[in-house]
Amino acid sequence: MTVTETHGGGTPEPENAAPAARRAWWRSLLADRAAAPAMLLLMAIVLAALFAPLIAPHDPNANSRAIMQPPVWSERGTAEYLLGTDSQGRDILSRALYGTRLTLLIGLVAIGIGGVIGSTLGLLSAMYRRIDPWIMRINDMMLSFPAILLGLALVAVAGPGVLPVIVALGIASIPDCARIARSIGIGVMGQEYIEAGRAVGLSDWAIFRRYLLRNSISSIMIFLSLRFGQIILIGAALSFLGLGARPPTSELGMMAAQGRDTLMFAPHIATIPSVVIFVIVLCANITGDALRDVLDPRLQT
Amino acid sequence: MTALLKTEGLTKHFPVRRGVLRRQVGTVQAVTDVSFELGSNETLAIVGESGCGKSTLGRALLRLHEPSGGKVWLQDMDVTALDKRGLREARRHMQIIFQDPFGSLNPRMTVRETLAEPLLLHGLATPATVRAETDRLIDLCGLSRWHAERYPHEFSGGQRQRVGIARALATRPKLIICDEPVSALDVSVQAQIVNLLQDLQSELGIAYVFISHDLAVVRHIAGKVAVMYLGRVVEEAATEDLFDAPRHPYTRILIDSAPRPDPTAIRHRLPVKGGTPSALAMPPGCAFHPRCPLAIDRCRSVRPELRQVGQSRVACHLAEKVVGMEAGRAEAENPALTRRLAVLERARAGSA
Repeated sequence: MTVTETHGGGTPEPENAAPAARRAWWRSLLADRAAAPAMLLLMAIVLAALFAPLIAPHDPNANSRAIMQPPVWSERGTAEYLLGTDSQGRDILSRALYGTRLTLLIGLVAIGIGGVIGSTLGLLSAMYRRIDPWIMRINDMMLSFPAILLGLALVAVAGPGVLPVIVALGIASIPDCARIARSIGIGVMGQEYIEAGRAVGLSDWAIFRRYLLRNSISSIMIFLSLRFGQIILIGAALSFLGLGARPPTSELGMMAAQGRDTLMFAPHIATIPSVVIFVIVLCANITGDALRDVLDPRLQT
Repeated sequence: MTALLKTEGLTKHFPVRRGVLRRQVGTVQAVTDVSFELGSNETLAIVGESGCGKSTLGRALLRLHEPSGGKVWLQDMDVTALDKRGLREARRHMQIIFQDPFGSLNPRMTVRETLAEPLLLHGLATPATVRAETDRLIDLCGLSRWHAERYPHEFSGGQRQRVGIARALATRPKLIICDEPVSALDVSVQAQIVNLLQDLQSELGIAYVFISHDLAVVRHIAGKVAVMYLGRVVEEAATEDLFDAPRHPYTRILIDSAPRPDPTAIRHRLPVKGGTPSALAMPPGCAFHPRCPLAIDRCRSVRPELRQVGQSRVACHLAEKVVGMEAGRAEAENPALTRRLAVLERARAGSA
């Protein structure tokens, strides 16, 4: 062959040289002053929730005679119950650990359901413009049901419990996710490499999987990570309304609801789970924002 | 001899739809009634200004845009009659190189994955041999092997275009549509890519349909040139004939208006007025008549068909008149073209 001059300049690099760009996003994420602590905190919360059975000092459902003990830092607090006890004498720290576990689980499963179904619909819409109006009109209809209302309706049919709440939250996040996935997908479908893939002779399925999905997934994940905070909030709200987990199971929203009656003389019972919810949602949002800044190529110049 | 690629009356019209009911309110006549033949190992250039339908024609040839009318034959195979499955298999024989080297490669696939895809798809390599095959393509297109595990964003424009060419070559096609393959590159890289394409042609006997608006490059690479205006071929001729004796007023104006450092060097320039009419509302008669300095009444009412004039095919009532006109071989004296052709030649000599 006559054309063998190399283009690229410089000396050949060793085969295992790690691509610079892939390390870079981790670095810039850790360099982000808001994101790094938020991610660490979120990670700590997730670990604590995961290992709740090992960490929790008490059985979360065991009553004791120490009723409405204040947390350790107040005057009458004891080291026995670090975050105090509720109106039935249950250890709030243990309940919060188990509650976080359930709250995170509800959020994750719901966002999983909504994310998978929603982005599949959205990406199909982007790929097959013929069915796009139909999917999107159905989507608009779903969008007009608030998640809380959907949850109420489902619970009315299936009875209160964790599962109906998860299903309701999952369904409620489908339309938003479908919209985002569609707009991301339309951007990807407009790229010339899609046409290049067709010119090579790829099937629709291969184009969907290797071209459309691979190029949309990171943007969709960023959206989902932002959405995760909202889902947890709505889930907690549903539990607060008495639609979610059934007593004595602990769930953060339900714990807040139970503390409502004693808010005047034992405010910590309602406040502590609320603060945990607040921190989780805040960290999830900050992390999602930072991920978007770092990963979303459309925001880079 | 049967032609490698043959089109008959190839047409692509895009409906324009508006409103909730998607009613058709108009038609963009992107490509209308294009017929030509191309032998193997030949290069046909398609030139014209932006929006004249060059790229649409290229994509209609491959059915990346489904033609609205006409036929395309690749040797004995009627491309326009293939079903979806047959078309996918036929894609092996006809490939495309895109204009934008930044947008035409999947950013999430390494060069090796990109090149392996067509090989595995069309059964030209097995998972066991695919590594050797992709290495061969990488060598063939002047890339280095350590490029293989890298992602497109790590390359320069010229290198990416080489990857695009390697991908097009992977299936050993008989025909490659080059859709402005060098327009997005700077001049020195253009020369490298053009030379690469020429070397590959002489080595592998591929036919090119070379879509471009750059007359210097076209003159360098093409054996035949078809000039398009508003979706129709207005002149088709051997490259030398076309540049020496343009027979359509539009061709002449196109050649005259190629950019040059010293615009005053051109004498006897045909005046051109106005801009391109919309492909949504075609003028009656000859599509070029509103801008043509020579237009007569007949041009405004009767559309000229392509007809044989000398060695060329021309769609102009006044073709005989144009060639005799004293517009004076302006292009041949054009210093910019001459210089760039010299650069191309030098680069070519250097790489040989």
